Amino acid sequence: MKVTFPHMGSLYIAIKVLLDTLNVEYVVPPFSINSLEAGIMNSPEFACLPFKLTLGNFISAIEQGADTVLFGGGCGQCRFGYYSDLHEEILRSMGYNARFICVNSSNMTPREVIQKLKPLAEGRKSRVILKSVLHAVRTILALDRLNGLACHIRCREAARGSTDKVMKEFHSSIERIKGFKAVAELVRSTRNKLRSIELNKVCSPLKIAIVGEIYTCTDPYINQEIERRLGNMGVDVDNKQTISRWVVDHGIKKLFPFEIKNKAHEAGKKYINTDDIGGHGLQTIGNCILSAKAKYDGAIQIYPFTCMPEIIAQNTFGEIQKDYGIPVLTLIIDEMTGEAGYMTRVEAFVDMLERKRKLNPLKKQHMAY
Amino acid sequence: MPTIGLPKALFYYQHSVLWENFFQNLGCRVVVSSDTNKQILDSGVTLCSSETCLPVKVFHGHVHSLMNRADYIFVPRYTSVRKDEFTCPKFCALPEVTLINLKKQVKLLTIDINANSSQKNMCISLREMARELKLNFEFAVKEFKDAFDKHANHADGIAGRLGSYSASGEREPSIAVLGHPYMIFDEYINMKLIKKLRSRKLAVYFPSSLNYSQIRENAFPYQGRVFWEAGLDNLGSAFTFARYKNIRGIIYLTPFACGVDSFVTELIERRIRHISSMPFIKLTIDEHSGEAGFDTRVEAFLDMVGRT
Ligand code: SF4
Ligand code: SF4
Repeated sequence: MKVTFPHMGSLYIAIKVLLDTLNVEYVVPPFSINSLEAGIMNSPEFACLPFKLTLGNFISAIEQGADTVLFGGGCGQCRFGYYSDLHEEILRSMGYNARFICVNSSNMTPREVIQKLKPLAEGRKSRVILKSVLHAVRTILALDRLNGLACHIRCREAARGSTDKVMKEFHSSIERIKGFKAVAELVRSTRNKLRSIELNKVCSPLKIAIVGEIYTCTDPYINQEIERRLGNMGVDVDNKQTISRWVVDHGIKKLFPFEIKNKAHEAGKKYINTDDIGGHGLQTIGNCILSAKAKYDGAIQIYPFTCMPEIIAQNTFGEIQKDYGIPVLTLIIDEMTGEAGYMTRVEAFVDMLERKRKLNPLKKQHMAY
Repeated sequence: MPTIGLPKALFYYQHSVLWENFFQNLGCRVVVSSDTNKQILDSGVTLCSSETCLPVKVFHGHVHSLMNRADYIFVPRYTSVRKDEFTCPKFCALPEVTLINLKKQVKLLTIDINANSSQKNMCISLREMARELKLNFEFAVKEFKDAFDKHANHADGIAGRLGSYSASGEREPSIAVLGHPYMIFDEYINMKLIKKLRSRKLAVYFPSSLNYSQIRENAFPYQGRVFWEAGLDNLGSAFTFARYKNIRGIIYLTPFACGVDSFVTELIERRIRHISSMPFIKLTIDEHSGEAGFDTRVEAFLDMVGRT
């Protein structure tokens, strides 16, 4: 058996750790233009981009020998819950026979996860499976924390490019190593390197929140490295839609016998008064409000073309800007998003925020820390 | 009593009987917006962001047209109409989005419809409505139940009135038209497709021509699982109609960039071949679609199925 899985930001590293611990063979989906194109070509035109990307991942991986797909599923209003059925159907009619193992991601209890992973683990004990899951979770938490640190340092570094250099090294090493220990070690040493970067003492960078659909927010390839680019413009980026937060919401919080609400989700109900609008729509709204309250300078919403919950969220931004005064830029990504237009809009937005800050220097004091 | 405006769009096509009766029973005057026309479409397009799908734009146009004719406009929040079946996310946020897009220049009444959770939210929303209209809550509940019974006996409002299918009796050549009710029953949006088919002596069938259990049984691959209501209707209907001899072909009308349809039509297209050789065509419509181009595609399809 050879397993493959979606690429999605740094999620693939965590899944690698999981499968390494279980000692299962796998194919990391190659991230290439060919794979992207295969995904786009074989998907319905108006499917959302994450669907096309993951399909592309699977096609390339299956061509390289994978026979099992590890994926998420669930239910509800958004299309994600229906991805795997359509993936399977498309792959089958293309003549590929891959088995899908779908972990129900709307309710990831330990029992559910262990049960779903059993067929993968080929007779290994539940204890080992649990350990591998814990390793994967710790990996993703560590990776996101590292990334957050990089964002914090990048905009404050004394010499431009120091953070990028460290992170570039990190990304090329992570491809080559295997297993939880090695990954944890690499994260640790990278963290130390980041911490030793010399900072510019007097700067008070603009602070921008990234909100929106999770795949486009977390995958640097898809969002054209927005975190890194903003950082190099001297912006402190806070990505609100990380995989960690998702894991905490859908997995870790479920371990408690009582319900722990997602703050952003609850805050979002101020503008759309209902329990859920699918995806992360309500969180997007809520995160804009919370960022405004925390005196961020602005927010950038990123979502794939035709994404239903984010379109709804976008509708409320006019009101939010009026009520809270936080400017929000929306970036819609499709397979044809051209680099030039996209970055020009981001740059113009940052310029605007800078001008705004100059006119209103009071805000600066809140920002300096 | 106040005048309530009902936009003739989206939910209206399935639940007109319910809401018209409900408000009349409460003693309100009800005005329904006119059929979709160019003005309505144009004002909808200007009111919404360009990412919005056509039916929601049209809905906004209808609300706009009612603005000076009614004291309140009714915009319900449909989350789920049947257990385990969901509506499109856009329906869940319709009241707020409408209010925002109309710059808060209208007064809305809303009711939460969510068959998937307790009746609590629905009661809260009904209570609020009763308070706004200065009516007794129990009275409103009773009238709602009455109206609901009438609706239930009336088989899906407009959509239901258009004939039902009995597999044995019908011999005449037919076409099945699938899609959201607000696509296939709105004459302006569907470019008079139904009339055109009938003028060619073709009988026309819809998802609403089939009975519920039959549709759900054939709704591969989602039978018995949580899915979109409209998705199940169309999946089930496609695979049911695919087996009927007198149906020459299936036309699926879909608005540009509809998230639900993008998945449903793909599943149908990939699957239907395994069931029969039923010709299937997906026709995409947006606000720029010209009638001439649309007709050409329909003609070409009909010519093709005529020969088989
Ligand atoms: S949230 Fe958006 S991108 Fe994700 S499945 Fe839903 S529509 Fe697609
Ligand atoms: S189901 Fe499609 S057409 Fe209907 S509201 Fe949703 S996106 Fe628009």
